Amino acid sequence: MEERRYRSASGAPIALRCRQHSASCRELVVRCPRLQLRSLSAVTSAVWLAAYGLFVLSENSVVLSAAIFITLIGLIIYLHFVKIDQESLLVIGSLGIQVTSSYASGKESTTFIEMGQVKDVVINEAIHMQKVIYYLCILLQDPGDPQGISEVVPLFQSSKPRLDCLIEVYKSCQEILEQRKTAPQSS
Amino acid sequence: ENSPAPLPERAIYGFALFLGSWFGFMLYLIWAYVPETWLFSLGLTYWPQKYWAVALPAYLLVAIGIGYILLFGINMMSTAPLSSTHTITDNYAKKQQQKTFQEEAIPALRDIPISEVNRMFFLPEK
Repeated sequence: MEERRYRSASGAPIALRCRQHSASCRELVVRCPRLQLRSLSAVTSAVWLAAYGLFVLSENSVVLSAAIFITLIGLIIYLHFVKIDQESLLVIGSLGIQVTSSYASGKESTTFIEMGQVKDVVINEAIHMQKVIYYLCILLQDPGDPQGISEVVPLFQSSKPRLDCLIEVYKSCQEILEQRKTAPQSS
Repeated sequence: ENSPAPLPERAIYGFALFLGSWFGFMLYLIWAYVPETWLFSLGLTYWPQKYWAVALPAYLLVAIGIGYILLFGINMMSTAPLSSTHTITDNYAKKQQQKTFQEEAIPALRDIPISEVNRMFFLPEK
């Protein structure tokens, strides 16, 4: 259950923790770096300096109080809707896959995909912004066509681990997904 | 028959374009610099306003600058998102036919499914 350090696609340090709950149940948690004090103070100082400059030009003190409100509300919105603390993947062999994102304010958003819909978990590479990145994704089965893929669900979207971390997660998931092929009667 | 080698016809086209562009440039300079009264005395009263002699180049330069940003933006918009199936497969790969496997022959060219590729790359067989 130890934590291994890796890097994200943009170079930020992330940590991967793998917990085995039973023979067919595994939880993989990727922890993103916390909000840095220096970036928070940089943004706050920039906004307040701009507001002070506007105040000097317009002689209106509403600008200053508006800047304080904007900073506070912006910080709360950022922590609650944007900043992700950790992303976890829970693979239960015969049941399904659960993807959880926990935000910095404590909010958790969960998605569950049942095993009947899951075709495979693969590492795909695609163009994102101006880079080509590797990312882990769940391929969902097309109900009409056994070979077809109806949907692609990308995982670890905000931590974006690099290939070495993704290979570890991929191997863990494949060990559990292989069990459903060898023992179809038990599911 | 489509070689880029110089030909007499191409030389004539080039010279005609060269003369035409010099004529156009001289016409633009005359329109921009010669005072209106002189042009009126010559009988040329229906030429566009001299305002456009400055406005059109300015519009053109701004359009070129926006064009850079627009092209970059269009490229980014046409890139398939990470959740699209176009990153995995496409119509040609879905409709391909499986050719029969022959012993001691090189297998036919086909699009290999991503699950198989992943297994080969990332799960080393011992």
